[in-house]
Amino acid sequence: MEHSLAADFGNESAMTLNQVGVGRDVRIRVLRGPGCDRLRDLGFCEQVQVRKLTGGRNPICSVCGTRLAISRELAEQVLVAPMH
Amino acid sequence: MHTASDSPSTIALIGNPNTGKTTLFNALTGANAKVGNYSGVTVEIKSGETFTPHGKKLRVLDLPGCYSLRAPSPDEQVAVDALKGDLTGYAKPDLVVCVLDASNLERHLQLALQVMALKIPTILALNMVDMAEKSGLRLDPAKLSEELGVPVVPMQARAGKGIIELKQALRFPFPTAAHATWLPGTDDTEDTRRTFIRKLCELAARRPDAHQLTFADQLDDWLLHPVWGWVAFFAIMFAVFWGIFSFARIPMGWIESAQGAVAGGVESLMPAGDLRSLLVDGVLGGVGGVVVFLPQIVLLFFFIGLLESSGYMARAAYLMDGVMARTGLSGKAFLPLFSSYACAIPGVMATRTIDSAKERLATIFIAPWMSCSARLPVYFLIVPLLLHENEGSWKQAFVLFAIYTLGTLSAFVVARVVRGKLGPDPTAHHFMLELPPYRWPQWSYICRHVLERGGSFVAKAGTLILGLSILLWALSTYPKADGDGEDALAASALGRLGTVIEPVMKPLGFDGRVGTAILTSFAAREIFNSSMAVLFRVDKVDGDEETRSSLRDRLALAKWPDGRPLFTPLSMISLLVFYIYALQCLPTSVVVAKEAGSWKWALAQLAFMTGFAYAASLCVFQAGKLLGF
Repeated sequence: MEHSLAADFGNESAMTLNQVGVGRDVRIRVLRGPGCDRLRDLGFCEQVQVRKLTGGRNPICSVCGTRLAISRELAEQVLVAPMH
Repeated sequence: MHTASDSPSTIALIGNPNTGKTTLFNALTGANAKVGNYSGVTVEIKSGETFTPHGKKLRVLDLPGCYSLRAPSPDEQVAVDALKGDLTGYAKPDLVVCVLDASNLERHLQLALQVMALKIPTILALNMVDMAEKSGLRLDPAKLSEELGVPVVPMQARAGKGIIELKQALRFPFPTAAHATWLPGTDDTEDTRRTFIRKLCELAARRPDAHQLTFADQLDDWLLHPVWGWVAFFAIMFAVFWGIFSFARIPMGWIESAQGAVAGGVESLMPAGDLRSLLVDGVLGGVGGVVVFLPQIVLLFFFIGLLESSGYMARAAYLMDGVMARTGLSGKAFLPLFSSYACAIPGVMATRTIDSAKERLATIFIAPWMSCSARLPVYFLIVPLLLHENEGSWKQAFVLFAIYTLGTLSAFVVARVVRGKLGPDPTAHHFMLELPPYRWPQWSYICRHVLERGGSFVAKAGTLILGLSILLWALSTYPKADGDGEDALAASALGRLGTVIEPVMKPLGFDGRVGTAILTSFAAREIFNSSMAVLFRVDKVDGDEETRSSLRDRLALAKWPDGRPLFTPLSMISLLVFYIYALQCLPTSVVVAKEAGSWKWALAQLAFMTGFAYAASLCVFQAGKLLGF
């Protein structure tokens, strides 16, 4: 179900947080995977704007004015779309 | 209706980690509970009392921070249980003060709505409004209150602003539980709440549109850089050790002079005899041998306080995650381990922030190898002896840095083995860490904290160490024998004990006296210095020209019966190695048993660390001898 939702966003938007370039602003479209609840508790919710600050082993993102570091496995569970 | 005879109503402070709950708790209750600028400082419930503006007593509970009421980690579970009244010994709260970071309402209101859904009367404390407004956020507390149906109090707990307004809101009768205003005929789902929060923040907490590059972002570019981040990490740690050695010299000199003056005064006023010996050698020598290191202890806690309140600790944990992963732990384990440099007990308790039970057990197992402040008196006695007094502070700091690094690296190796034995987690746990904004240290808190720790060090010296010093003096004086100096000591109970254990300690490079001092230090590590002061007092006797020299000078002159110096560089390194690894702290073992839920774990840790300390010390000394040192 979630996979098909992600597919609906089209090629351009179906990317994970890991695939986003450093310094880019994106909007979270879908969370999928076992870490979803914890990600939402941390502020990674659908429709929220995120800026990726660093890449690497644990990418750092700015979410609602807070810097959060999450593992690449968790970042893979966050599907985002670029801001227009 | 509450009357004076009622037991006091209970209010609970809840909120996401690092929102200033404990700072507010301290402001309300006058307590001095530990605060810091990173997530997970509070891992157990703290209780205090405050009064309403009309003088009614209230019990205040400071709960560990939690991101949601789902609570995957042990510290969060404690908060949730307390909130629901499921925790033994704590009444269900009559009112909840939900502490929110005003800069992050989109995130923190999620927990507030979960709390309000429990139908407990709630007040929202919007903390750190100054920082939120500085970042360009336009807050409207009145609108928030109107939309949520609960009182909202803007405040700056650190500066004491808004405390009176919060107390006004705590007046009886308490506000009634809020109705779920976010449910206009819809189900209470997470989606409904999130949509409500988004709309509410657009109205009452408007954020500037563009992401602004903050000072913290610029600083993080350096401090979290894969290369410069590590350079900064080691530079900061080295500066701490250098600072401890350099700045402590002057006050240490004052303490030594005062101690010498008092001892000289006692000697000039009292005739020679057992009572004078008890006061000078037992009390002043034993206690003085520990108290002289008070400046170093104070400086260590000062620097740890600086690091904790500045926001750097979370950055260090982020950097360390890659290293820790190789040991089977995560960067989150770094924070409890760093706390253990001050004392292993809060460090072991801080492991509650770790989600994975197996990672937590492994972290508890290695925590005592982070050199705690109780080891400092031993290190500071031996390190200058190893390098000679006139060596620069930076060389001594380097040796101290190496001692800490050796303990830490060995702990990581053991963690890898223990973590491997425990097997994989049934569910995957991933690294996630909030990087707080950098803040100026809370000087008033740091000063109070340092004074408190310094005070407890002096109190320990005045009670436990004083008592044990007197006991050690008695054991090293009686039974009496004819003769002076070493003959009298050899005939005493402690001297005989030394003779018995000398064969066990000799392969490590220690004589019976050092062995006895090590044995007595299982009561408390600092006792090593007291024992050494009592046991090596006889070396200062030199005919009529008895001079009062420092313990270190006396140790430098100590010899084996055949005239060889007792303290060679090799034997001193062997001694340092023993103290890096030995677990000589009963309170730590008690806390480990409690936190691990098993005495077996605590006893296995004690046996392993004692055995390892002996084996490591033996290897160092014997290998060094073979190599010709």
